[in-house]
Amino acid sequence: MISKAIGLILADDPKILLGELTRPRALSAIPFGGRYRLIDFNLSNMVHSGINTIGISTFTKYKSLMDHLGTGSPWDLDRKNQGLSILAPYISTDTYTGEADDLLAILHFFRHASQEYMVITRSDVLMTMTYNDMIRAHEESDADITVLFNRDGSEGGEPNLILDMDRQLRVKSVYQNPARPVSDYRSLGVIVIRRQRFVDLISEGISRGLNVFTLAYLLRQCDHLDVRGFEYRAPVMYINDIASYFRSTMLSLEERYQEALYHGSCPVYTKVKDEAPTIYTADAYVQDSMISDGCLIDGEIRHSMLFRGVTVAKSARLKNCIVFQNTYISEACELENVIIDKNCIIRPGIKLIGQEQYPMVIGKGAIV
Amino acid sequence: MAKKEMIAMILAGGQGSRLGVLTNTMAKPAIPFGSRYRIIDFPLSNCTNSGIDTVGVLTQYQPLELNTYVGNGHPWDLDRNNGGAFILPPYQNIDGSDWYTNTANAIFQNIGFIDNYNPNYVLILSGDHIYKMNYEAMLETHLASKADCTIAVLEVPWSETYRFGIMNTDETDRIVEFEEKPANAKSNLASMGIYIFSWPQLRRSLIMDNDDSSSSHDFGKNIIPMLISKGMKVQAYRFSGYWKDVGTISSLWESHMDLLDHPDEINFRDPEWRIYSRNPVKPAHFIAKNASVKSSCMTDGCRIYGEVSHSILGHSVVVEEGAVVKDCVLMPGAHIGRNCHLEKCIVGLYTHISDGVAAGAFIEEPDNPYINKYCTEGITVFNHGLTIKANVQVPGNAMVDLLPHLDPSKNVIEEIHNVW
Repeated sequence: MISKAIGLILADDPKILLGELTRPRALSAIPFGGRYRLIDFNLSNMVHSGINTIGISTFTKYKSLMDHLGTGSPWDLDRKNQGLSILAPYISTDTYTGEADDLLAILHFFRHASQEYMVITRSDVLMTMTYNDMIRAHEESDADITVLFNRDGSEGGEPNLILDMDRQLRVKSVYQNPARPVSDYRSLGVIVIRRQRFVDLISEGISRGLNVFTLAYLLRQCDHLDVRGFEYRAPVMYINDIASYFRSTMLSLEERYQEALYHGSCPVYTKVKDEAPTIYTADAYVQDSMISDGCLIDGEIRHSMLFRGVTVAKSARLKNCIVFQNTYISEACELENVIIDKNCIIRPGIKLIGQEQYPMVIGKGAIV
Repeated sequence: MAKKEMIAMILAGGQGSRLGVLTNTMAKPAIPFGSRYRIIDFPLSNCTNSGIDTVGVLTQYQPLELNTYVGNGHPWDLDRNNGGAFILPPYQNIDGSDWYTNTANAIFQNIGFIDNYNPNYVLILSGDHIYKMNYEAMLETHLASKADCTIAVLEVPWSETYRFGIMNTDETDRIVEFEEKPANAKSNLASMGIYIFSWPQLRRSLIMDNDDSSSSHDFGKNIIPMLISKGMKVQAYRFSGYWKDVGTISSLWESHMDLLDHPDEINFRDPEWRIYSRNPVKPAHFIAKNASVKSSCMTDGCRIYGEVSHSILGHSVVVEEGAVVKDCVLMPGAHIGRNCHLEKCIVGLYTHISDGVAAGAFIEEPDNPYINKYCTEGITVFNHGLTIKANVQVPGNAMVDLLPHLDPSKNVIEEIHNVW
């Protein structure tokens, strides 16, 4: 079914920084789960909801995001009409002031669309679902804005938007990173809004000097608009900083999360790489780990996540590690609680030990 | 339409009957191979890596799986505006309709297709072999030798020459004689079934061959000997890499074991010559606590809770706790239940082996009804789409599929679902 909604994914957030991982790339382009990037989750959710026109808003460092998205064909978004559009800053004046340029890009895209509704998502919360029930609930309640929430409160770390709602799930007020939360209703960064309403709100915002678009800006309209909550009950993952990224990846090794994320009715699409199958040698020892295609495993791996094309040489030992694409881990290395970015080389015998609460991060292309 | 230098025609219509039940519902080129590939991925990837952008895939026998798999050719970069991948089944015309009666006849029936692209050269391939080859280099040899036809040949052990079409050559590698499966071979250069023809020349030969009622319309038996007898220049192109015809159960199993024992021979990891395939939408594979994986090869979507050694697993294979899988080939979607023990088994697509099944040559039961002449060397085959009953035993050299008139007490199949 073709959806009545058009999608907007906020692909970056200047407030969410993951150290070395966001140095070369936008938030939503961070690799996750062995073969995905964060954006794959929301993008696939939209596709599974029948949304076939999707704008992706980003401001800087969008090269790796563009490389990943390409024409959108892995998500079936290489359509004749509509499909995928990357909404990079739209420079409307001769001098780039940075003021509202990001917003204008968004506004231009949505002003002329024909869909009645809009689904807007962020990139820092991972789940697999369709938005159809939420859109239906939005239509039936005749609310101005519907926001997806769960009851994780501040458990997911900052930034978090806590919603104060009445019994009819009508949002009364919105708190960002409150010291003393009024409730455990946490916004999951997905909202449904009538497209025309969105265009009006943003146009008005720009005229009043609004520079950066955030979901909080829309939700704060609850003093004069009807903003409702829609509850989500399955497990979700939050990516706010290095520690939560590390924790979420380790959680995703648990079967409960694997089922919820990958084996349900909404498979996650991603760019294909045509790697060879992974080879395990006679000396390989692997436990409790997820390994992607194209790896060569000759060492010991415990409770770790390996992306595509990783080599773990003989007698190297990994525990609680996340290793990105095409990294080479040489003989007799010993790594624990380490996140290693793409294309790194860890020389023979190197020992790197991080802490579970504070994992060590090796930046893209490093030779250690 | 823009003229093409060379287009490829892949003969993918054969049944591959010596693979027994595995090709009951799909043509041999569609058979899964090497964890994440299908046999046809090899010629298709070779084409795209050799810069050939127009490929006709001739299908006839059980084409549904193959048609679905090839689709618009996108995985091999063969979705082109001018050219691309085309499925070419036999079709009706004003004079009636005809199946493809043989290899040369299949190309004859598609003269119109080839004319449309008006290529200088046509590359004829079969969809049955596992190898990596640069057809562009072969074309260069063809041009340099000014031959009318160039045939790729491989040196085979003298003891096996009787299994192949043997090319006898002179000192310049010009082919002077062709012998099909000779008892006493004069040469050990075997034809690989890969031909480059200059299109006008091939076109004339096909028409002439079609008019000859005594011909069986086969490239090896008729077209090549005809060219040689007419004094045309037929040249050998020596190839010396990994090449395997996976035409029998034992060669299918062996070539999989080659991948484990000599992974560098074919080297799937070569970034310069990637083998492309249709990718499943599956997460990275998961190896659980207390599982063991050694000397094996697997791909996305697998979930391993048991013990896997010296085996090749396709995507989405599940091996449950307590199961032991050794020297096996598990095709995509196979499910191995708890405490199963499988040795030297080939398990078909989406076949579900229930808990406690034991299969392999270690089970001795010479009068088992599933014993099959196509299964040798103690290999056990489970057809695609079966559900096997719990706690049954199947010996080696057996091929498990629905057997009519079988004593129900001996039947190990609980259910069959359609897989194509």
